[in-house]
Amino acid sequence: MIDAWIEWMETTRLSAAMLDTRWMWPLAEAVHFAGLVLLVGTVGLFDLRVLGLGRGIPAAAIHRLVPLGALGFVFSVATGVLFVFGSPDQYFYNAAFRWKLVFLGLMGANAAFFYAVPHRALAGLGAHDDAPRSAKVCVALSLTFLVAVMFCGRMLTFFRPVGGGF
Amino acid sequence: MNLLAALEQTALSVWLRESPTIWGFPFVLFLHTLGLGIAAGLGVALNLWTLGWADRYPAAPLQRAFPVASAGFALALVSGLLLLAAYPTKALTDPVFYLKLALVGAAIGQLEWLRRRLFDAASADRPACPDRSVRRFAGLALALWAGAVLTGRLLAYTYNYLTAADLLP
Repeated sequence: MIDAWIEWMETTRLSAAMLDTRWMWPLAEAVHFAGLVLLVGTVGLFDLRVLGLGRGIPAAAIHRLVPLGALGFVFSVATGVLFVFGSPDQYFYNAAFRWKLVFLGLMGANAAFFYAVPHRALAGLGAHDDAPRSAKVCVALSLTFLVAVMFCGRMLTFFRPVGGGF
Repeated sequence: MNLLAALEQTALSVWLRESPTIWGFPFVLFLHTLGLGIAAGLGVALNLWTLGWADRYPAAPLQRAFPVASAGFALALVSGLLLLAAYPTKALTDPVFYLKLALVGAAIGQLEWLRRRLFDAASADRPACPDRSVRRFAGLALALWAGAVLTGRLLAYTYNYLTAADLLP
């Protein structure tokens, strides 16, 4: 089943473009990292405020940066899809890639819970108010999963299932 | 060339290149990514804040984000020096490496300037109201960080010699 997916991906034009166009892969990597920087910085600054650093500005105000981080995340995911299409066999059988997907899933579930419950309480908080504990726990988990995703991503190249590719 | 070869023969350099565990070179690469994520990320976020929201909220509370950015930069710097120790020839013979250093230096310099000019000088309870030069440099900083990430990432592709042995005719 996975092999069928890999075979299909390898026949796509996108896959050929990733492998045959000079600088396409390196430039996609640069965009992948730029997206990461935008996500880590904006979400990180909001998370720091929820954890209590920077009281004096409402958490909801700093949250205005988060949509820019979401945009960065979209860039990272889009370029990530390009890499998988480029060398699907290097990813689907790669332990680091599988763990990366697990942590991305956990990050998504945690974010979904955050927006469903604790985030609502933040809207009413004043500039100097402390965030509720549930929000702090969520935010700490979000940072942990983000670091785990980066760790797994960085390990991808060292867990190549078969030679070549990348 | 002799110096590069000597550097590559130090125990640290050899271990970083040849250690088969992921806790050698791969882990240092991860630390570099984490450090740059924190430093460049907060650099970008604080400049975006300056451009979009600093005129509506006090800036002083965000002073405390700067030491976090500095810690990220320290992590990126130390791990970067280790990566340099592992492959000195690769980096030092690549012009793109020097361009990256210049971009990172300028971006870090701007962040320190922004801290003094806007965040340290700001009142704790009134909006900061960044002036035109602060805004201009904030916009420039976004381009500097983008350039630093781009050139840094390209180093894996633009090098001409991997080790000192490659320099031999």
